Parts: sequence; C-alpha cells; structure tokens
Amino acid sequence: MLLPKFDYHEPRTLEEVLLLLSELGGNAKLLAGGTDLLVRMKLNVDRPSHVISLEKVPGLNEIIPQDRHGVTIGSTTTAANLAESELIIDRFAPLAIASSRLGAPMIRNRATIGGNLVNARPAADLSPACMVLSANLKIKSLNKDREVLVNDFFVGPGQTILDPNELLVSLKIETPPPWTGGSYLKLGARKALEISMVNVACLLTLQSADGPIVDVRIALGAVAPTPVRAFAAEEFLIGQKPSESLFKEAGSIGVGMCSPITDHRGTMEYRCMMIESLTHRALQQAYHRALEWKL
Amino acid sequence: MKKIIKLTINGESVEAAVEPNRTLLQFLREDLGLTGTKHGCGLGDCGACTVIMEGRAVNSCLILAIQAHGKEIITIEGLAEGGRLHPIQQAFVDKGAIQCGFCTPGMILSAKALLDRNPKPTEMEIRTAISGNLCRCTGYQKIVEAIESASETIGSEEVS
Ligand SMILES: Cc1cc2nc3c(=O)[nH]c(=O)nc-3n(C[C@H](O)[C@H](O)[C@H](O)COP(=O)(O)OP(=O)(O)OC[C@H]3O[C@@H](n4cnc5c(N)ncnc54)[C@H](O)[C@@H]3O)c2cc1C
Ligand code: FES
Ligand code: FES
Repeated sequence: MLLPKFDYHEPRTLEEVLLLLSELGGNAKLLAGGTDLLVRMKLNVDRPSHVISLEKVPGLNEIIPQDRHGVTIGSTTTAANLAESELIIDRFAPLAIASSRLGAPMIRNRATIGGNLVNARPAADLSPACMVLSANLKIKSLNKDREVLVNDFFVGPGQTILDPNELLVSLKIETPPPWTGGSYLKLGARKALEISMVNVACLLTLQSADGPIVDVRIALGAVAPTPVRAFAAEEFLIGQKPSESLFKEAGSIGVGMCSPITDHRGTMEYRCMMIESLTHRALQQAYHRALEWKL
Repeated sequence: MKKIIKLTINGESVEAAVEPNRTLLQFLREDLGLTGTKHGCGLGDCGACTVIMEGRAVNSCLILAIQAHGKEIITIEGLAEGGRLHPIQQAFVDKGAIQCGFCTPGMILSAKALLDRNPKPTEMEIRTAISGNLCRCTGYQKIVEAIESASETIGSEEVS
C-alpha cells in the first residue's frame, strides 16, 4: 500500500497552522495520529496535495486541569494518554473507558481525540463519551474563534460543521457534580480493533447517595448517521428513584431514538435489542459508580 | 521534496533523506534493509509492522518516516544482545509460539512494550497488549504462555 505524493508541513506554532490552513484550505489535510488520514490516503479516498502535521505545535497534546472546575484537553491528546490519565479516570470516566476501548494498543498510542471527533464516524468511540460530558469544542481559524457544543458538531457520517480552514484546538469539559457516575459500553463482533456495532455512554447524577436521579445523559453511537443523545430516556429518568426496573424501561425508550441500519456487522433488529440491553447495563454501571463517588 | 531525518534505531543514530510519502515501514525495510519488520496489510489491522517508538508499540505502516525524526525506535533486530536472544524471543522459541513466524516480530515487540511498562501482567493484560497483532497459525494460546513465561524469566533475572 503506497501513499500518493504530497507536500509536508510541520508548523511550530498555532498561528502558523492557521496561516497554512487559510492559504491551502481544501488542498490540505491536518495530520494528527494519522490512523484515519493515512489509511484514507492509501485507499485513495483522500488525496490532499499538502499534509500539515500537528505534532510540533506546542501544548496541543496536553490534559490541563482547571482547578476543580474542569479540564481542557488538547485536540492531539492520544487515546492512550486519556485512558491512562488519573484525572480522566476519576472524574470523566466515560471518556477514559471509551479511550481504552478504541482499537488496539498500537492504534491507541497514535489515535487522537481531535482526529476521532473530526473523522465523525457514526461508530466512533470518543464521540458519545464527549457528548454525555457536554464537551465544549474550541475551534479556530485565522480570523475567527468559536466554541461549539459537541452535540452540535456532527452533521452526518464523516461530516462536521468544521470549515476546511478551521482547526479543532481543544475540548473544555466541566467536572460533573458530586454523586455522579459514568460508564461506556461498546459492542463489536470481535473484542479487539473492532468498530462498534453499538456503543453507549452514560453519565448519571444523584441528589445524594440515596436520593433520586437529578441529571442523566445517555448518548448512543452507530445507531444513526451521527451519534445521538437519547433525550426521551433521559427525561423519563430525571426525578425518579433509581431501580432495576426503571433502568430497564429507560433502555426500551432509548431504542426509540435510533435508526440503525442492517450491514455486515449486524441486522437492524439485532442492533435494536442490543441498544436496549446496553443502555440498561450502562445505566446500572453509571449508578453503581455514582454510589461510590468520593471527594 | 526529500527531507533529512535523524533518528535512533536500535541504539544507533541514523541520518537519511526521505520523501514525505515514505512510511516508517518502507524506510526500515527498503532503505535500511531491516526486514525483520513485516509488511502485512499496510492499514493498521494486522500488527505485522509493529515497532516500538519512544517506548510505545506503534504500527510503522501508519507513520511517515518524516514523523520519526528525532525519535527512538526499536525493531526486532535490536532485541538480541551479543548473539543471545532476548528472553521474550527465547520464550517464543521454547513455548512453540512461532509457526510461520510472520506475526512474530510484531508480537514480540508488543510484548516488550507491555513488559517494559508492566513487568507482571495478568493474562487479560497480555491478551489486550497483543490484540492488534493477528496470527493465522498458532491460535494465540502458546503466544500468551510465552509472554507469561518471559515475564517470569525477566523478573528472576532482575532479582539475581
Ligand atoms: C486498525 C484501526 C482500528 C480502529 N479502531 C477504531 C475504534 O475501535 N474506534 C474508533 O472510534 N476509531 C477507530 N479507528 C479510527 C481512528 O483510529 C480514530 O478515529 C482516531 O481517533 C483518529 O485519530 P487520528 O489522530 O489518528 O486522526 P488523523 O488520521 O490524524 O485525522 C483524522 C481526520 O481528522 C482531521 N483532523 C485531525 N485532527 C484535527 C484537528 N485538531 N482539527 C481539525 N481536523 C483534524 C484530519 O485532517 C483527518 O481528516 C481505527 C483505525 C484503524 C486504522
Ligand atoms: S502492515 Fe501495519 S498493521 Fe498491517
Ligand atoms: S506464526 Fe504464522 S502468523 Fe503467527
């Protein structure tokens, strides 16, 4: 598998990246981990005449705690670094778990969170996790800065709201309140290296250890052209006292959100059953982690 | 246009001019003749091209040679010392974890990246570490046993 020819750029500052993007726009592609771009170039799906590496841009791969209020994650932070970060494991569990399930170790060591979101596959692992954590995406071009909620980022398979001259700089996530637990479940036909057939992220907040559910977010991947929040199931759960039967019912409401397809990874009927059962299990796990919440 | 890269491969510094579209895998095999690193799928799926870069296992088919500038790389050729096999290589031989051998360099480097960070892995951790390395011959069981055995050997060598 040979790569077509291209010009290679290795800008040293954010400013330089934005300048190159504004000059080269549609002829250029940003290179982060390359686990998506280089595959697409080998398969002749993408044919950029310029490749702009993000590796030498300082600070773009950092996980920066913002006191106790939240965290800023640079767009070139790798899945491996997210999965190993104590801060992410402790406070942003769905993202840590999803990162640990993305591909195999060699892929995780290169794959970045920015690449995963921009790539916008319906089955991407990190998108549902970012959605339940309500990540705010910081986007920059030479003459415009904007912040976009991750929920508004995806347009369709492989499509986002990013313009060709824009860079995803970082994600800002607020620390979830006390008595919050999170989970992430992924179902693929094989264990390793598998693109999900269905994936579910949950974040559940209790009023207190034995209190009702005050907030819950459920996001599903691979069930529609973009990852989706299961709002109906969320509304159904808020204000209720957690119980087995409640979570089971929420699972069946969750299916209502989806328009899964039949393909070689599974039929539509099978996917619907799996959405129900994964949502149910993800809620249970998030609830148990919420009970274990500690300062 | 070719660019000059400098990197360390198996402890030796190497300098070369490469085209931007040359992968690290092509550079190792074709320019340096280090053919222990195998070319399988070229798409990140099989792990035959695994090398260790800056302490982490990576697919050299999905990295540009240019991106390896300034980095430290270990390939399968860098494991044996003074004609003596590395304990992981020896364990693969002893446990019958090699059949055709095509996956072996990648398997061994994934195992090394694991053991360097986690000298006493569980069976599950071993299976996860080699989950991106496909083997069409052995059925994996003997590979897992070889890595378990290597972890014991390395542990006892370090104590003695
Ligand atoms: C064998 C294999 C297994 C895989 N398994 C999984 C899996 O289980 N789950 C999963 O979700 N994905 C999987 N993937 C897909 C891929 O690894 C991930 O989507 C990864 O997160 C992409 O990140 P990257 O840094 O490698 O992206 P790159 O390939 O570097 O970039 C991807 C795209 O995003 C653009 N881009 C990158 N960063 C930015 C930025 N900061 N701003 C604007 N645009 C940007 C690039 O220009 C490119 O178009 C797999 C891929 C392979 C090859
Ligand atoms: S050749 Fe690189 S993963 Fe198959
Ligand atoms: S020994 Fe033949 S592929 Fe593994």
